[in-house]
Amino acid sequence: MGSSEVILSVKGLTASINGTPILKGVDLEVKAGEIHAIMGRNGSGKSTLSKVLAGHPAYEVTGGEVLFHGEDLLELEPEERARKGVFLAFQYPLEIPGVSNLDFLRASYNARRKEQGLEEVDAFDFDDVVEEKLDVVKMDAAFLNRSVNEGFSGGEKKRNEILQMALLEPSLGILDETDSGLDIDALRTVSEGVNQVANENNAMVLITHYQRLLDYIKPGFVHVMYDGRIIKTGGKELALELEEKGYDWIDEKLAAGVA
Amino acid sequence: MSASVQTLVNQPYKYGFVTDIETVKIPKGLNEEVVRLISAKKEEPEFMLDFRLKAYRKWLTMAEPDWAALGYPEIDYQDIVYYSAPKAQEKKQSLDEVDPALLETFEKLGLPLSEQKRLTNVAVDAVFDSVSIATTFRADLLKHGVVFCSISEAVKEYPELVQKYLGSVVPVGDNYFSALNAAVFSDGSFVYIPKGVKCPMELSTYFRINSADTGQFERTLIIAEDDSQVSYLEGCTAPMFDTNQLHAAVVELVALENADIKYSTVQNWYAGDENGVGGIYNFVTKRGLCKGKNSKISWTQVETGSAITWKYPGCVLVGDNSVGEFYSVALTNNCQEADTGTKMVHVGKNTRSTIISKGISAGRSSNSYRGLVKIGPNAEGARNYSQCDSMLIGDNAAANTFPYIQVQNPGAKVEHEASTSKIGEDQLFYLMQRGISMEDAVSMMISGFCKDVFNQLPMEFAVEADKLLSLKLEGAVG
Amino acid sequence: METVNLTSNSLSPEMQSNSDRVEKQSPAEKRAACLQQLLEISKTDGVAALSELQAHAAALASELAIPSTRDEDWRFTDLSKIVAAQFVAADGKASVSTDAIAGFVLPEARSSRIVFVDGVYNPELSDLSAADNVTVGNSDALATVSKHVAQLPGSEEVFTTLNTATFADVAVVHVAKKAIAETPLHLLFVSTGSNRISQPRCMVVAEASSQVSLIEDYVSLGSAQGGDGSGFSNAVTEIVVEANAQVEHSLIQREAMGSFHIGKTSVIQAQDSRYTNIAVQIGAALSRHNVETHHQGTQVETNLYGLALVAGEQLADTHSNIQYNHPHCQSDQLYKAIATDKGRSVFSGRVGVPKLAQQTSAAQLNRNLLLSNKARVDTKPQLEIIADDVKCSHGATVSQLEDDQVFYLQSRGIDRDSAQHLLIEAFAAEILLKLPVASLRETLTATVTQRTESAI
Repeated sequence: MGSSEVILSVKGLTASINGTPILKGVDLEVKAGEIHAIMGRNGSGKSTLSKVLAGHPAYEVTGGEVLFHGEDLLELEPEERARKGVFLAFQYPLEIPGVSNLDFLRASYNARRKEQGLEEVDAFDFDDVVEEKLDVVKMDAAFLNRSVNEGFSGGEKKRNEILQMALLEPSLGILDETDSGLDIDALRTVSEGVNQVANENNAMVLITHYQRLLDYIKPGFVHVMYDGRIIKTGGKELALELEEKGYDWIDEKLAAGVA
Repeated sequence: MSASVQTLVNQPYKYGFVTDIETVKIPKGLNEEVVRLISAKKEEPEFMLDFRLKAYRKWLTMAEPDWAALGYPEIDYQDIVYYSAPKAQEKKQSLDEVDPALLETFEKLGLPLSEQKRLTNVAVDAVFDSVSIATTFRADLLKHGVVFCSISEAVKEYPELVQKYLGSVVPVGDNYFSALNAAVFSDGSFVYIPKGVKCPMELSTYFRINSADTGQFERTLIIAEDDSQVSYLEGCTAPMFDTNQLHAAVVELVALENADIKYSTVQNWYAGDENGVGGIYNFVTKRGLCKGKNSKISWTQVETGSAITWKYPGCVLVGDNSVGEFYSVALTNNCQEADTGTKMVHVGKNTRSTIISKGISAGRSSNSYRGLVKIGPNAEGARNYSQCDSMLIGDNAAANTFPYIQVQNPGAKVEHEASTSKIGEDQLFYLMQRGISMEDAVSMMISGFCKDVFNQLPMEFAVEADKLLSLKLEGAVG
Repeated sequence: METVNLTSNSLSPEMQSNSDRVEKQSPAEKRAACLQQLLEISKTDGVAALSELQAHAAALASELAIPSTRDEDWRFTDLSKIVAAQFVAADGKASVSTDAIAGFVLPEARSSRIVFVDGVYNPELSDLSAADNVTVGNSDALATVSKHVAQLPGSEEVFTTLNTATFADVAVVHVAKKAIAETPLHLLFVSTGSNRISQPRCMVVAEASSQVSLIEDYVSLGSAQGGDGSGFSNAVTEIVVEANAQVEHSLIQREAMGSFHIGKTSVIQAQDSRYTNIAVQIGAALSRHNVETHHQGTQVETNLYGLALVAGEQLADTHSNIQYNHPHCQSDQLYKAIATDKGRSVFSGRVGVPKLAQQTSAAQLNRNLLLSNKARVDTKPQLEIIADDVKCSHGATVSQLEDDQVFYLQSRGIDRDSAQHLLIEAFAAEILLKLPVASLRETLTATVTQRTESAI
């Protein structure tokens, strides 16, 4: 794996919202073919990291650097990042009343294709493209005619996120608590979807609260985030340890100066 | 980011030019002599002069309404020219004889009138300041028995129809502005669809205000006989002046048994500049009478212009099983103020009405929905559904909803829903994270918000309306 | 054109006010004269501690008139019957026995009851022995709360001004900081009838983190107790809800069917407070309830609920107004009305959300059940919004009982009449079940059933 291309390189990243520092120096390197999990309790900065990587305007980057395929990611607008292959599956996917899911998916798909120098796809051909991807998340075609996420259940929203990821084929997929609030069937569907999208050329970063997700998606790396920094990195066993002992033992270790 | 959304909605007005043309104007001011003069200039029959005088005398006893959520300086009714026409305004038999400057004006507005360039499936009546200058396809329509001409011509050629229906839906004393219109109206369109005829093409009137001190008072009358059908569209633009012009129109629709009238408006009068200087004061009374059984009147409006809009197109549902519809998109920006909505008056049994209103407010503008749904004591089985949604862009704009519901029949069912939403940072970020640019994201959300209304417009104009809103939203991303 | 009268009056009530002929003088003069007469009749010695305030209000009132239907706030409620009626002063000396009010006593608040007769405290009829953690009394107990009287928004409104100018006594409820009043307080206002006009007044202050449940209850003496069913109560209640305090306020108006009732509830709420109003209007020939709350801090919660029942020729009018001023506040409103016979129900609800009040939510729903073809419902839910990050919705429905629902119950073996009763009770129950005491819920449910009998 050592020879794989570095997709994402984060060094000393600090960021704040409304003047309050949240990220206090994050270091993370993600290579092609890898799956990373970032765990941590609420408020540790996990979700903020995902939003900063995607370019959410509410956060101000105060220091550090982020390279995506060697290019400065922080210079780019959110839509440029998306077109270059950064995909964020939202923790709370937004409802966009009046905009049909199908139109939205096509606009998004074509924006990515244009960036890749490919021809845009018309409405007719797009039906075929999307049809194929629906199977990935076991979604019914009827979803396509509804407004984006409007009136969707929690599980449907999350599946819609994975459908979008399958369609856009990003080189970096960041899944922000995609597993939270899902029942076991939905969790399985979503996980299988992620596994189908993941391959040796792309990378996935799973942000999660619960070890449960990792029963279905096997990360090569597990990071523990604490107070705006990644304080511990290990293999899958670290996730099990966290699940078993909770996050308190990290506090204790920190207190003891071990971590 | 909201600041940049704001810049998206600021777009220069592209119809703001003035046509340099010699006009005949009467002096400013209003009195009984002026009313007589207008009638005389138009060589009207006696009944029209009586109609005007009755309205004028009524108007004198009335006071300007002040209940709307609008604020504007007092209008000096003596400082307005009540009649202005391009010189040699005599209606030409052929378009070749129309002043080329006028033809050029309408061409510039995207509305070529000449034989070669005109739209093939739409008949157009072009009204410039106070008079109709040309009506296309008039003869072709007449072959089907459809009368489409200026109301001045109708007064002369179809006096019995005009006398029978003029003021029958909007009585002269209905309100302050309709009384004023009845006294001084100069032109407008007249449509008559005979029994059993489905009008073979879209009819449309294009209103152009050109002079700075002239009020525009047009009057439209559409009569659809039993089993007939017509779709009509009006468009409006005006030059940019730093003074305000008064526009007080009246539209009356009469639908007899099984008749179907669809009336669409794309209103883009000059709205004034970003500081609220200039712009049209638009006080309009529009009402349709579903007189016959199973008749239907549908109003669709896209209101993007005017400094002040005061307008409540309504339906009086007298015939049993008759249907009234109102679909509206009102966009206000900068200092614009709109107080608009509808009135659905259910008189007959099993009458149905639908109201879909979408208000978008940006800048420091104020956008109010005001609607009345009235179910009379005999309107057994009447149904109304109203939905009024507001979208706010920026936090200086106001969105108000004032529905009035009055029900006197227990067999009726009335439902009203309203909601507010916004184009917010988070929705935009979500769309942008999927690679969609901010302009496209905003445009998608606006079109989505207005979809229910645009779907009601005749196809040719749905595209126009979407473009119009997009134009209003075009601009640099900040 | 015979079938419909196309004059401005029939078509455009909201557009008529200024488009008609300039108003004739005499009705306006009559309405002004009426108010002056009411002011004169109602004149009392007042409350000594508030004499300056009352004199000021009297001066203001002398410039005012009874509103007409041209006044937007009174468009659907014609007060000409009040203008035409002859009222006499309520001297507060009418003798009322314990037996006479026995039927109004709530078992759950038997000993936390304060009684006012025609607006004046009656110690003999009151029993406050079980009123815990709260100061309850009349104007003698005003002390610390007097500074709040007539200071709340809306106090310049015409009937409120009349009340302020003329009230003879004040019901006072004062809950000290952190005090939790466990027992509901019953504030019983008795009208003795005989065309007397009374000016009940109530001042409630719930200090920080306190909690109280009030039942403000307007009744008339029955004929057996000397009541003749007439009279006019012009009531005003002001409530100050301080930070983090919780006030649950039930308001029952069950006065005699020939009387007039105009009531005002004005509330100010500090941060983190919660105020709930449950208003039931079933009495009086003509009644009006104005309820307004003004937010004075963040995270305020306001809940307004109401049920109006109009039968015979009754008219009940509710005007609610929630004025937001701060972010992160929320409100919920549900107003229901049942109109039968020739009854008329009016609702107007306003929610104002200024720019400051971001991240607020407001829901308002008005549901009306129309049970007769002579009955009438007017409703006007309004939203006025300037803030852009808000979640506001409102809705209104007017309909009769759903045939499908009646049929469904019938298909399960329930006869048609019972099915209708059940559905009407269920419609009312959504509000009545929010009342804190069972005895009231039962009494009022029985009243609903009995009054809607004619519609079934």
